[in-house]
Amino acid sequence: MFFIKKIFLFFKRELKLFFRNIVSIFSNILFFFLSIFIFVFALGADEQNLKSIGLGIIWSLLVLSSTLSLRKFYEEDFNNGVLVIIHMRGISYELIVFLKILSHFLFVQVPFLISIPVASLLFNLPIYEVYNLIFTFIIGSLILSCLSSMSASMNLLNKANFSIGGIIVLLFSVPVIIFSVGINEVDSDFKSLINILIGMALIFLGISPWASAAFIKLALRNK
Amino acid sequence: MLLINNLSFFRDDNIIFENLNLSLGNGQITQIRGKNGSGKTTFLKVILNILSSNTGEIIWEGQNVKKNIFKFYNEITYIADHNTSSRELSILDNIKFWKGLSSSNLSDDKIFSLLETFNLKKYLNTEIMYLSSGEVKKLELLRIVLEQKKIWVLDEPYNHLDDSSAEILNQTFVDHTNNNGIILFASHYNPLISKLEILDFN
Repeated sequence: MFFIKKIFLFFKRELKLFFRNIVSIFSNILFFFLSIFIFVFALGADEQNLKSIGLGIIWSLLVLSSTLSLRKFYEEDFNNGVLVIIHMRGISYELIVFLKILSHFLFVQVPFLISIPVASLLFNLPIYEVYNLIFTFIIGSLILSCLSSMSASMNLLNKANFSIGGIIVLLFSVPVIIFSVGINEVDSDFKSLINILIGMALIFLGISPWASAAFIKLALRNK
Repeated sequence: MLLINNLSFFRDDNIIFENLNLSLGNGQITQIRGKNGSGKTTFLKVILNILSSNTGEIIWEGQNVKKNIFKFYNEITYIADHNTSSRELSILDNIKFWKGLSSSNLSDDKIFSLLETFNLKKYLNTEIMYLSSGEVKKLELLRIVLEQKKIWVLDEPYNHLDDSSAEILNQTFVDHTNNNGIILFASHYNPLISKLEILDFN
């Protein structure tokens, strides 16, 4: 019972921090929208052209936008010792990471869902592609949260060149983009591609708590 | 009783401390003194299992700490040399979080009285980022009382405190040891506590 209460408290704290940092979440969404506008203006008014490459652009910008808040994933909780204190109160680092991934998915990635239909309008995407985009983004963003967790924990002591963290996320997000965009191709097998995406999400959800916890422990030893 | 047997810690072939033995019984308060870089903080981190020792073992109530780490953590609280309060949250938010996390049964009246003692009650809904270093430090010290653990491990607890707050902290230490608590802290400050024992790292 106490354990469930601790997990509930963890999410309550994350929710409060989300509302205190809501400006930075909106900044990420604004970055996404402005980048979409730049693409639309740069590509011109050819409706067919926009429609054919719109999905790829939206996905690429979603990945880029999600790397903006990468640094905040663990940095403050690591630097001020909150991670150690939470661990000392009976929650393993692996579970802390798992809860952090879920809260990142809920409080950082999910707000992007609101922006997807609006962005799709700018590229004049057909309605079934918008549905597919929303569906694949829900699964893909969970993978991105796992990747962000691993990348952020890997770079906890890296004060000089944090861009490497973004590079790691971008590199590993390529398969996510391939399968997510591929769903809309005429001859693609929707069910198989969705199953592959779900499989990837489950694999990352299984691996990343252990990997990130190992990186956090390593960083704590060298702090 | 907390027993530390033949504890050694090396970093890149440099000996930070070697074959250190210490026993901390109920009601005992021990201060680690030493110059900068003498390994005081490292020693505290090894006790807390944040760092792994190269040799030796730590025994709590007859059991090896490494093999029963969460049982040990259930009895211990730690104040680091930096503040663990979340900057963007208020004093009240932080207190609620720490209280729930440590399953403390300290009453709200007692918490408000502690806030009054540390002169923090008026900032209850103020975010930590707007408090002075001394006020944040006092909030940290309030956390150790709030968590109601037997062993207190503190790194530089007197930093940023004015004389009256240091006096309150001394009294808090005495009260805890009178209740059979165990305190181990590292500090350059020389507090006036009658039964204080010194572990010299120089």
